[in-house]
Amino acid sequence: MVFVRFLLFGFIGLSIIYVSLWFYSRSVRREKLEDEWDETKPEGMTRETFVEEGMTAYHASLRPKLLLLVYVVPTIVIGAVIFISNAN
Amino acid sequence: MRRIKMVLRLLIVSILALILHYALPQHDVVQVVGVSEPRQDFGPVNRWFFAQADSGSATFANRDVKLIRTEKKETFLLGFIPRDSTEIMVYRNEDTGLIWPPYFKFDSENLQTAALSSTNNGEWAVITHYGWRIPFFSIFPNAVSIRTVEGPDVTIIPWFNIGFFIFAAFCFGMVRAMWRQFRERSVDPLLDSAGDHLDVAQAEIAERRSGVRNWLNSWRAKDKRR
Repeated sequence: MVFVRFLLFGFIGLSIIYVSLWFYSRSVRREKLEDEWDETKPEGMTRETFVEEGMTAYHASLRPKLLLLVYVVPTIVIGAVIFISNAN
Repeated sequence: MRRIKMVLRLLIVSILALILHYALPQHDVVQVVGVSEPRQDFGPVNRWFFAQADSGSATFANRDVKLIRTEKKETFLLGFIPRDSTEIMVYRNEDTGLIWPPYFKFDSENLQTAALSSTNNGEWAVITHYGWRIPFFSIFPNAVSIRTVEGPDVTIIPWFNIGFFIFAAFCFGMVRAMWRQFRERSVDPLLDSAGDHLDVAQAEIAERRSGVRNWLNSWRAKDKRR
């Protein structure tokens, strides 16, 4: 029961971190794309289409998937801590 | 207002510092004198400073708590400056299991045996522990691990704490960056557009009022008009 509770609260906590990081990363990328358009002003592209295309590419890339490490790393760390602190 | 803010900030910082001082691991150089397992009847104060029954066991109102009795090298400044004198220190030895603080310790019986075996030949040992010894409330620090060392003059580098503070600084910077991004991209535009609406509304009111004023003025004598 304690273990289930631990898993549940751990999952909730990590999900909060994951969601905030997801929004943050997306927002940073969008800002970068907007700045890029402002600087280069590529021809035949409005600001909106440039940003939207960039965001589609971003969502298809590896980067947002790396955020899933938020779940993986703590699990590994806690597993390692349990092993190290209880091994003789 | 400024003073209240400062006091509040100071209060938060000191509470955080106390929590960290309680929960982060510290290292003591000790000679174990003996171990015992007296029953503890927890009171309203000190029950918060004990963990729970051994992992996997049922929890009752009172239970036997393993204690490690030692003579410890005294130090200054959280263990950074060693001293020649020794003092008495008694540690409890409880499973933290999956509850606070997150040491994930399930091997208290093994630790007790290791402590007992280090009493042979008066060996020196380093005990890693967290918590405080407060005799007034019968509160003991919880020993987390023990390892025997050559002699009392060992250099201990608190790797975990170094890593912890670096990680904490990273997290703090990250949260601040996220908050700034959120404010810049989401809150400020909203406030700006709200401000614009307000400006427009005020301009409309001003115009309407000026219409009424002009009409009123038209009734006044020409030299008194505003």
